Amino acid sequence: MTRTRSVVGRTIALHLVAIFVTAVVMPLALYLMLRRAADDLHENALRQQATELVPLIEREPDGNFQMHLPTRLEELYSPDYARYSYSVGDPDGRVLLSSFADGHSVTHAPPRMDRTVTFSGWYDGVHVFGISMPVEIAGRKLWIEVSQDLAHRDVLIDDIVTDFFTRVGWITVPILLLLLAIDVAIIRRAIKPIVAASALAERIGPERTDLRVPEDGLPREILPLVHAVNHAFDRLEEGFRIQREFTADAAHELRTPLAILRTQIDMIGDRELAGSLRADVENMSRLVNQLLEIAELETIEIVAGETADLVAVSTEIAAFIAPLALSRNKTVAVSGAPRPVLVPGHADMIGRAVRNLVENALAHTPAGTTVEIDVDPNGTLRVGDSGPGVPVADRDQIFRRFWRRNRRRPGSAGLGLAIVSQIAKMHGATIRVTDNPGGGAMFVLEFPAVIAPVREPQPEVMAAK
Amino acid sequence: MRLLLIEDNERFAALLKQGLAASGFTVDVLTTAAEATAALQTSRCDVVILDLGLPDADGLEVLTGMRDRSDATPVLILTARGSLKDRVSGLQSGADDYLVKPFALEELVARLQALLRRPGNLLGLALRLGNVTLDTIARQVFVGEAPIAFSAREVAVLEHLLRRSGRVVAKTLLESSLYGQSQEVGSNAVEVYVHRLRRHLAEIGASVQVHTVRGVGYMIAEGAA
Repeated sequence: MTRTRSVVGRTIALHLVAIFVTAVVMPLALYLMLRRAADDLHENALRQQATELVPLIEREPDGNFQMHLPTRLEELYSPDYARYSYSVGDPDGRVLLSSFADGHSVTHAPPRMDRTVTFSGWYDGVHVFGISMPVEIAGRKLWIEVSQDLAHRDVLIDDIVTDFFTRVGWITVPILLLLLAIDVAIIRRAIKPIVAASALAERIGPERTDLRVPEDGLPREILPLVHAVNHAFDRLEEGFRIQREFTADAAHELRTPLAILRTQIDMIGDRELAGSLRADVENMSRLVNQLLEIAELETIEIVAGETADLVAVSTEIAAFIAPLALSRNKTVAVSGAPRPVLVPGHADMIGRAVRNLVENALAHTPAGTTVEIDVDPNGTLRVGDSGPGVPVADRDQIFRRFWRRNRRRPGSAGLGLAIVSQIAKMHGATIRVTDNPGGGAMFVLEFPAVIAPVREPQPEVMAAK
Repeated sequence: MRLLLIEDNERFAALLKQGLAASGFTVDVLTTAAEATAALQTSRCDVVILDLGLPDADGLEVLTGMRDRSDATPVLILTARGSLKDRVSGLQSGADDYLVKPFALEELVARLQALLRRPGNLLGLALRLGNVTLDTIARQVFVGEAPIAFSAREVAVLEHLLRRSGRVVAKTLLESSLYGQSQEVGSNAVEVYVHRLRRHLAEIGASVQVHTVRGVGYMIAEGAA
């Protein structure tokens, strides 16, 4: 049997069982109680009737008994009215007096002389309730039976009891259903903060380790769970922080020894040796910088409302890299939109992405060629080179950390494109690689939206790098 | 020219002193912030090279102390801290330049020379690259020792390029400085002047080359024209 795991579902199921049980048991119990109360009422009424009759019985001089009913009572006991009947008998079973025309006793049975009893049953085709009690009249022990017809139009109590099931009893069902609805509403309300907390918990990940499940408004019963989860997140965040700091510290500590090495190399007289050593130090420095960059990326948050101009960013990066490119007999160029193309995002981060794309392109494009940065006014930035291109099979993996197609190629740790991918992700942008129409690879960084510029672009002054 | 190098790694400081001496700088080395602050208050130097991670205090305190005393000596921060936040806070504290370790000695020298050429600094009246010299007061260009006649606008373009030699000068910057922002400039006017300048430099056998970075600007560098 599959059991529903929803609290609301469980509540409804249990409630339905409870409703069913209550709807049957409660009216039944009420009915029995009413029945009993009605019987008591009948008994008292009949006892009173009987007690009222006793002083009206007189013993005649001939030894016979006579009932002297006043008019009021005579009507009550008349066969025409047919509500009450009585009979008086002696211990031998003889009927001495009777309201019935033929003079039989109410129960047609010998009396019980020991104690007062009540009875109910069908006598002479009528459902009666009666009392039989011993009395002593003029020194003789007699018994008196008084009964009333329960079906008589003037007997109200029994109608109430009989109607209870058919009319009143059913009211419990809607009341219980209403209670169920209220319960469901209460549970829903109690669960609401849990749903909200879950939505927030969804956002917690390696990029956002600072978020915690809010404990306000949560039911006290699940607070221990939330506490435990939040503590787990604290420990995870600490782990992330330690890892990040280790990366940053390690990279940072490497910079001074690298600077010493670099300065020493710069002072070597042998130009050929210096050149090859310098290339090695540059590769190491680049790796250190990229490790620091990755560590730094994870701490940067994009502030809402911040914008970056893709044209300005591309121009700045091209200007920054051009001297290096020219020294290798390659060059960079910016083309496309002449006006600012604004996208929501962190200009420095996007600049790093573009720089990594251009550095990657420069590493692969042959001497004498140009790395082209193209900015489309729709928020797409393309970096094309004239290198060998990226095989289709590698196009997804190329953005993974430390991935390299050719592990023997020196100078690349496979971090640059991973940084680009991470920056793109932070901006809700996509990065992919395709073929450059002129041969080579084309990296396409696509931003989800552009912002219409609010004012005429200012002539741009390049910042010193 | 006298440099004050504030760097706590003595091995690195010694190396740097040696390297800079080869480029004609006299270098004094101090290893703590306290020593540096004391020295800066009593004697003058042309440029300060400041490491941020000093043993007794943050290097930025030395810098803010200088600026609070209205000491305008150019300061170049030389540090292992390279994050965006670090660079911004360094420049906001009054640093004139910011260089992250490791770096090429050549780049440090170029940046120091650029700092010494800054307006307000009496040094650097002559801009030199390869065999080309530009006297910025007389507006006269020399190749080797020989004075060569250049048009005023060619000199203006050349001055911009030489002031930032080895780096790219934005085309927009050249446009606005050639004509002023109010005047309408033909879209290819800068291209025309750069083209003329390039041809002229080649004709006179200058050992410098003006590179075009399409869509961005121009860069002058040493090399056969």
